[in-house]
Amino acid sequence: MIKHGNQPWQKYIKNKQTLTNKVKQSIDMDTHKKHGFWHRYFFSLDHKDIGFQYLLTAMFMAAFGGFFVYVFRYNLAFGPNDIPLYGDLAAKQYNQLVTNHGAIMIFWVGMPILLAVIGNFLIPIMIGTDDMAFPTLNKISYWIFLLSCVVLLLGFMMPTGAFGGGWTMYPPLSVSDFGYNNPNTTFWSNFFTGNTFFLLAVALEFVSMLMGGINFVVTTLNKRAKGMTLMRLPIVVWMVNIANLLFMFSVGPLIAGAFMLLMDILVGTGFFDAYRGGDPILWQHLFWFFGHPEVYVLLLPSIGAVGEIISTFSRKPLFGYKMVILMVLIAAILSLVVWAHHQFVSGIDPGAANIFSLLTIIISIPFAGMVLSYLGTLWNGDIKLEIPMLWALGMLATFTFFGGFTGLHLGSNVFDIYAHDTYFVIAHFHYTLFPTVFLGGFAAFYYWYPKFSGKMMNKTLGLIHFWGTFIFFNTIFIPLFWLGLQGQHRRIYNYSQWNDLLMQPEHIMARQIATVSLIFLLLVQFVFLFNFFYSLKKGKKASKNPWHANTLEWQTDSPPSHGNFNPYPIVQRWPYDYNHPDKELDYCPQTES
Amino acid sequence: MNVFPESISQIGSEMDNLFWIITAVVGIASIITLFLFVYPIVTRKKKKTKEEMYMVGNNHSKRKWIYIGMLLLFLGDIYILIKEHPVWESVEQSLPEPDFKIAIIGKQWMWNIIYPGPDGKLYTDDDVMAYNELHVPVDKVIHLDIKALDVVHSVFLPQARFKQDALPGRTITRWIKLNKTGEYDISCAEICGTGHSIMRGIMYVEDDKTWESTMAKIYKK
Repeated sequence: MIKHGNQPWQKYIKNKQTLTNKVKQSIDMDTHKKHGFWHRYFFSLDHKDIGFQYLLTAMFMAAFGGFFVYVFRYNLAFGPNDIPLYGDLAAKQYNQLVTNHGAIMIFWVGMPILLAVIGNFLIPIMIGTDDMAFPTLNKISYWIFLLSCVVLLLGFMMPTGAFGGGWTMYPPLSVSDFGYNNPNTTFWSNFFTGNTFFLLAVALEFVSMLMGGINFVVTTLNKRAKGMTLMRLPIVVWMVNIANLLFMFSVGPLIAGAFMLLMDILVGTGFFDAYRGGDPILWQHLFWFFGHPEVYVLLLPSIGAVGEIISTFSRKPLFGYKMVILMVLIAAILSLVVWAHHQFVSGIDPGAANIFSLLTIIISIPFAGMVLSYLGTLWNGDIKLEIPMLWALGMLATFTFFGGFTGLHLGSNVFDIYAHDTYFVIAHFHYTLFPTVFLGGFAAFYYWYPKFSGKMMNKTLGLIHFWGTFIFFNTIFIPLFWLGLQGQHRRIYNYSQWNDLLMQPEHIMARQIATVSLIFLLLVQFVFLFNFFYSLKKGKKASKNPWHANTLEWQTDSPPSHGNFNPYPIVQRWPYDYNHPDKELDYCPQTES
Repeated sequence: MNVFPESISQIGSEMDNLFWIITAVVGIASIITLFLFVYPIVTRKKKKTKEEMYMVGNNHSKRKWIYIGMLLLFLGDIYILIKEHPVWESVEQSLPEPDFKIAIIGKQWMWNIIYPGPDGKLYTDDDVMAYNELHVPVDKVIHLDIKALDVVHSVFLPQARFKQDALPGRTITRWIKLNKTGEYDISCAEICGTGHSIMRGIMYVEDDKTWESTMAKIYKK
């Protein structure tokens, strides 16, 4: 028999007295003495401050990622000379920019925004508690993340330049100039290279995300408000947690591989050197065992946020809530066994490729279930096309129609022989990752901005930002699908060698359309930056619950005080009672009986 | 405007067909999804009762349309798998008797082509090496022994719809049979360093007579 008072949340409530006192103290501190910049951004343990730090850092890194892509896309369309704001681009720098664009956008923009920012801002406040289970660990995770950014950027200042072997770091290329072929190098000369710094930066980033991830999972399991059962959790909390668990399950092999690669670079151990008993393909397995689930690690929090938004602005319950969770769990488990679809032509056993092709194509089924559930939520809805809803619908549409469905083309091992390492793959994964990180990320941003800033964002600027981003994103990547089908292969500095195949007027035109669209896409982001800071200062004051949503964060002040709730909420129902027949209003907060 | 560059092999045309088969399956799925997407947005202003709107989907009968959608996609998936498998088997899992064998070796940043020499056997003393120029006879089964010296490269013959990574320390044998004479590209599809974008070879597909005289010339050198 479970003794009363032994459940985690009951213990927590029992300790509430002391906790609330602590919280009260800090609230008093907040009201009596406004914390200075130094205190707030260097010592604060508040999950909201840490979330904000992650957000700013990720935006800073996104500026690098965006600038890099501008430089190398400009080169592809208009040649390497006199690139505005950059100058001339050499082949070596081109490789460095391509490599770091990919790595930054995935590890230093996607991961922090979708795991750390969404997790930090939303988990404690959506489950009805004051902070993370381990606030200090949370703080440390941020500082390690910042360190990883610094280490990555320091790589650009190394004598050999930044790492330029592709974000997938395939050996022997990622090692060959140092450990394997060059007996004259020393440990330290190998250490101070872009390659080593790149690897160390990725490793530090993983440490940071693991610390954050443990925090999120423990917080969700142990710090839920009274009455917040697992089946009453908002879908985004479920998704962030599944994403974190998936990250933890998949990252181990890569860390082992990264250590071996680091040793190969530093001391020439030869784990991936074919001439000394190593195997370059081993790295590819270890990398993609992590690399494929990683896409879902990014996707899930985004799809969770989109679920919240679609439900709120359709004024309808999330259709098939439990089924969505089940489908995502199935997809997450399947994602651990499809990695070799990145390696159909890498020299793996062709028989095994059949199984990976089968599993990859089958993974479309749980995703179909999830997408159809979301469309079921839209069905018959009283849809309000507010800015966050536009982003959410944009995310769902681009992800499904172009990202998801072209996954079937590439999951087919036969067609992948041709499409592998062409721009078809590039367009495909940008159609999965860009909607995930940016369209979904902006949806979440516009939706929760009133809560965390206390101000409403300007709607006209929001519309310009949405339509600009949405249209130019599509006009970048639709031409790239076609170029890929034409046989345009990846990571090429200059296509002039392929005169007949890839330098016809229509190819040049397609490249230019993509590049010009990209420049517009980047320019539209300044509208967002302006709106962000302008609304923070001059925006209309936001009420507690401007969207009439049900989840707990909307039941407290905007912005929430330190400690989030006073008194703590007691949860009475699941989060999606929109237009409940027994209720007069079209929404019913989770705290209402 | 063509979708694909011209195809110069039977297998390549089958791959192109498979692309269209998948596109058809995806196209049907897209049309259904697009309707489910657009219809509720277009009719969003229509008055609905709370009972109509409070759809929770908490039991199987209420979720039947989702199951039907998943089932349809599953059938589409199975269709794709049935169509693709024989092609994969003939490209990757079988090795028809060769008429001619050539080794192609990736190296930063060029392709070394090894012809078997007058004795017709690879890896003997009379082998002849050439750079970046691959001469092959039309309508013959050719075995390519693919390897790399330094880093991972990838032999990509876009018009033949052929691609295979070249790995240091390993020889991978694949076959091609080309049905059209002409000059075609050999690209390196895997990033291999600074010179990745200059790593291009040319494949000459020649009729028997021309090819024999080219070979004689190459062997004479």
